[in-house]
Amino acid sequence: MEKPHKGRRKLIKTLVLGMVSLPVLGKFLIPRTQPKKGIFRVKKTDIPGNGALIFGEKKIAVIQDGRNVYALNLTCTHLGCTVNTTPKGFACPCHGSVFTPRGDVVKGPADRSLKQLSVEEQGNDILIMTTT
Amino acid sequence: MQNETGLFNAFIGHLFPRMVRRENLRITYTFCLGGLAFTTFMVLIASGLLLLFYYQPSSEHAFESILFLESSVPGGLFVRSIHRLASNAFLLLIFLHTLRVILTGAYRKPRELNWVVGFFILCLSLFEAYTGYLLPMDQLALWATQTGMELIKTLPAGEAVVKILAPDGVGQPISLLRFYVLHAVIIPVAVLLLSFLHFYRIRQNKEVLPYL
Repeated sequence: MEKPHKGRRKLIKTLVLGMVSLPVLGKFLIPRTQPKKGIFRVKKTDIPGNGALIFGEKKIAVIQDGRNVYALNLTCTHLGCTVNTTPKGFACPCHGSVFTPRGDVVKGPADRSLKQLSVEEQGNDILIMTTT
Repeated sequence: MQNETGLFNAFIGHLFPRMVRRENLRITYTFCLGGLAFTTFMVLIASGLLLLFYYQPSSEHAFESILFLESSVPGGLFVRSIHRLASNAFLLLIFLHTLRVILTGAYRKPRELNWVVGFFILCLSLFEAYTGYLLPMDQLALWATQTGMELIKTLPAGEAVVKILAPDGVGQPISLLRFYVLHAVIIPVAVLLLSFLHFYRIRQNKEVLPYL
């Protein structure tokens, strides 16, 4: 009769220890990260007319289409690779998704358009909100 | 009741067979797939230990250290190729071993615990391969790991797992260091300990062979 009793105590002990130590360990393993600067500034004159300005490291494309200026997040919506710029739009090197210059899907496996970033004009500069 | 040291000695004693039945040595019995998998695991440990002498787990120097290993270290390319080939063979053999266990019904009573232990070893081995994939820090490594992370995100609690594995993004200093520590220390030790438990259970179950 003693054995199951002991087993039960051990189980409860283990559960309590786990419930206390795992969140602490989790806290330790996830460092506080400073929120990244959410605004990216580009000179209007730097953007080619009917063309795009690509910032590979930041994964941002600033595109001018006539008078319109818009910005796209270059992270592929399929599995997160950075898409390449092609004459016809964007193509993902990982699994072959193709997007129009506006970021819409031409060919899968991606099923969502590239993320549009909100853009604001301020004098001679364009402000791009990189955090959504 | 056995005391602690007695238990330890019994555990060590059971790792190696005291005697082996002649008919159990028949190759078609298990095809020795588990044994072959463990042999490749030991090859991986030996070649991995050699790689540790040259690999630098920093985002800036990792790729350079691989180039240096391959160009300037006598036998460096050979050791790295062995490690890579053995890793492929290891996963292949573990899968074949699992398939053999399924097809012969060896997971059945009284071997359920060993099936569960084996399944954990299988999962850990896949994770070991995944963490090793990032370490060379070439284009394939980076993007394959990136896509793997996106896949993990789709799992329940996946976001938290990704935050723990790569708090600063795939290929950044902290994430590379974590993959390195997991790949070179934590997962191999876990696989080794579970393997010993696996072998201990085989000895314990030796008289019951459900598929003979």
